[in-house]
Amino acid sequence: MAISAATKAATDALAANPAPVSVGAQEVHRWMQSFTWDFDKNRTKYSTKYKMANDTKEQFKLIAKEYARMESVKDERQFGSLQDVLTRVDAANRVHPKWNESMKVISNFLEVGEYNAIAATGMLWDSATAPEQKNGYLGQVLDEIRHTNQCGYINYYFAKQGQDAAGHNDARRTRAIGPLWKGMKRVFSDGFISGDAVECSINLQLVGEACFTNPLIVAVTEWASANGDEMTPTVFLSIETDELRHMANGYQTVVSIANDEAASKYLNTDLNNAFWTQQKYFTPVLGMMFEYGSHFKVEPWVKTWNRWVYEDWGGIWIGRLGKYGVESPRSLRDAKKDAYWAHHDLFLIAYALWPTGFFRLSLPTPEEAEWYEANYPGWYDMYGKVYDEWRARGCEDPSSGFLPIQWFIENNHPIYIDRVSQVPFCPSYCKGESTLRVLEFNGKKHSFSDQWGERMWLSEPERYECQNIFEQYEGRELSEVIAEGFGLRSDGKTLISQPHTNKDGKLWTLDDIKKINCVFSDPLKAL
Amino acid sequence: MSIEVNGGRRGLTDPEIAAVIMAAVPDKPLETQRKMNYFMKPRGKRVNEYETLCCYTQPTPDWIPGGLDWGDWTQKFHGGRPSWSNESTEMRSSDWLAHRDPAFRWHALYVKDKAEEWRYTDRFLKAYSADGHVRSIDPVWRDEVLGDYLGAFGFYEYGLFNSHSSVVRDCLGDTLRMSSAMIGLDKVDNAQMIQAERTFLSKLVPGFPESTDIPKQEWTQGSIFKGARELVQDIWQATYDWNEILFSGHMICDPLFGQFVRREFFLRLSSYYGDNLTPFFINQMQLYFSQTKGITTDMFHTCLGTDVEFGDYNNRLMRAWADKWLPRTVNALKDFMGIYDTIPEIKGVSDKAAIEAALVRVFADWKRDFADPINYKVDTAALVKTVLSGLK
Repeated sequence: MAISAATKAATDALAANPAPVSVGAQEVHRWMQSFTWDFDKNRTKYSTKYKMANDTKEQFKLIAKEYARMESVKDERQFGSLQDVLTRVDAANRVHPKWNESMKVISNFLEVGEYNAIAATGMLWDSATAPEQKNGYLGQVLDEIRHTNQCGYINYYFAKQGQDAAGHNDARRTRAIGPLWKGMKRVFSDGFISGDAVECSINLQLVGEACFTNPLIVAVTEWASANGDEMTPTVFLSIETDELRHMANGYQTVVSIANDEAASKYLNTDLNNAFWTQQKYFTPVLGMMFEYGSHFKVEPWVKTWNRWVYEDWGGIWIGRLGKYGVESPRSLRDAKKDAYWAHHDLFLIAYALWPTGFFRLSLPTPEEAEWYEANYPGWYDMYGKVYDEWRARGCEDPSSGFLPIQWFIENNHPIYIDRVSQVPFCPSYCKGESTLRVLEFNGKKHSFSDQWGERMWLSEPERYECQNIFEQYEGRELSEVIAEGFGLRSDGKTLISQPHTNKDGKLWTLDDIKKINCVFSDPLKAL
Repeated sequence: MSIEVNGGRRGLTDPEIAAVIMAAVPDKPLETQRKMNYFMKPRGKRVNEYETLCCYTQPTPDWIPGGLDWGDWTQKFHGGRPSWSNESTEMRSSDWLAHRDPAFRWHALYVKDKAEEWRYTDRFLKAYSADGHVRSIDPVWRDEVLGDYLGAFGFYEYGLFNSHSSVVRDCLGDTLRMSSAMIGLDKVDNAQMIQAERTFLSKLVPGFPESTDIPKQEWTQGSIFKGARELVQDIWQATYDWNEILFSGHMICDPLFGQFVRREFFLRLSSYYGDNLTPFFINQMQLYFSQTKGITTDMFHTCLGTDVEFGDYNNRLMRAWADKWLPRTVNALKDFMGIYDTIPEIKGVSDKAAIEAALVRVFADWKRDFADPINYKVDTAALVKTVLSGLK
């Protein structure tokens, strides 16, 4: 069309139809796939054994400004609730103290996962070749920043408004002291960002987000609400609306490599390793946080796990990927066994090491013990009677001079750390599936608690060299470690962590710990 | 009462549950320090909300300066490369967590601004179309410059956008990571706004092509963007040091080439050719440029350039990087001079004297804001002369 004719046509068109015209997000997005170009150096900086297809599409077709509009609307609702009605009804002071403590851990540890997912999806944005696929990962990068801020906001809110700010107000500084931290870093941090880019996507999106965010971010809201906490559902359900996009990204990652020969060779092994990596920590820790970190219970963790992990993810979600050759992980059966007892085993250890936490832990009350026994027959004989003994020895009382870790030592039940998952276990006193395996490499001993982690280590020991807390602290006295790790309240003497949440109970101080003279030792050296 | 709660009963509103909870809640708060992150050193007088929500979210060990964690990585890359490492950049810092976005934008504030811009864009386009402004655009400017060359410039923005992916993966600080992602998103937003303008024009002007085919051909095969394309490709894919990517993109390339193309070509000239649509979009891009400049000058000048231990070394390195990237940027501008051959000349606006004045403005701004703070000696007159040699 000649130029002058085009101007005339525009004039005529306006005369015929002067209705206002704009541009929709989808009208821009449909050109997205053509935004890139080929050039010699166009390659990812993060190697992967898979080849991601050039024409992969994304399911949530967003452009930058539409993304911002959508998220902003959600933010208005969420922060409006938090800052207005929940503050006016003093909601943070109407949460059960046990749950207040759980949120110190849940929110901060989830924050770490969200934070590392920023980097993880940055890597995937780099690795993908299709602009739409890059765009999907980009949206997730921004979402993960949002979630990092949101998780921080929970701790910020509880610190400012709630009943016990300690731990909420400094979790980012004190979280590294205790036995739960390193394992959390494996699943929520390094597992997302260190490795083959697609393997990291499988860890993050296909397992972490598609499998464990349901119990972590959705089920947790039921437990929170039952225990008086309406802040967490307000924030976490808003987070979950973005997770759908992330699950779609994981799905598209598999679609993008489906026709690659490498997928038939490696995909199911990578999926199995990712699933075991994630479940090894989340299965016991989530169960522990829900059941032992609450007073009011929603349902036994094993039921939640079975519904979300075994049936919904292992069956339906993975089933949908079956056409791409994806199979349910071989380790799923072993994980199912862990879902019954592993969180009880872990709480026994976590409580024994309570001074290294940044939160208060509580022994089960008699009515809670009754609930455990009803839902986990045999619980009392294994765990309940131990807690009764600890309580009788004054484990909650600072003047007792008794720390439950002494019970493990006295009864010759050494606690080891699994080198690959960094999860502590006590092979001589557990009902879960943990068994002790010890291997030597480069003059150093390594303990493992299961065959799946041991296999990962045997294939690539150089990936799992991290010191565990017993190696790090060996020979050091407990109160020194706590002080060095900033485990004290603002008075400079009272511990942030405590072995009870009784409103009238005495609080332990650093001096109380010092008197006991508890010195760390590395159990591997005794072997 | 039973401690198993089902049927959606909520502890805040169910009287029976609430009574149990309130009986357990301490009579007074157990801790008096209610400020989250109270232990950190704020940029201003006190820790603000941005610092509360963003700072120390990164779990790096203390051997990466600024980190609060200890020990090793729990999982590494195949072969044992660490998750994050000081070796990922030639820059040195005594605190990789020191950077602050001068606007203190955490995610909610960032998307709120952009959401408002999107709503306003929608309202503006409706008013613009109903008013019939499109009739006044010079046909050559509209069909060749906006249709082809503005479209081609979208690839420049898209390429720079992609250069942020590895920065977001590799950088060593939390606020750095968040800022890098946001300035990256602004770049793809620029590319999308360019396409939005072209799609909008195609709705108003029958026959105006919204396809990216011709712009891509111009970008990949034409002479006007040849230098820019090679420059962007090198920043995006041939550079592995995440600081060098940010420095080359935001401290050299975009303040010179990007600024000239956006501000001195499209923004300044458009109104002379009857185009008051393009300034609407370019002004948004200029807002992003301004915000990005605040971020990257904080990273490189405020933090790295004045680092007590490594400031001198970092400034030397920045000068070396400037030596590397400035000639390529000047070359990109020289190639871009070819665009003036495609438009009708307007005396005092698009003639050689006006182009030279525009170049002088851009180079003077760059020298003041980017070169002088790192004590980089540069003869801007000579650079302008080199660029002008590209005029036909």
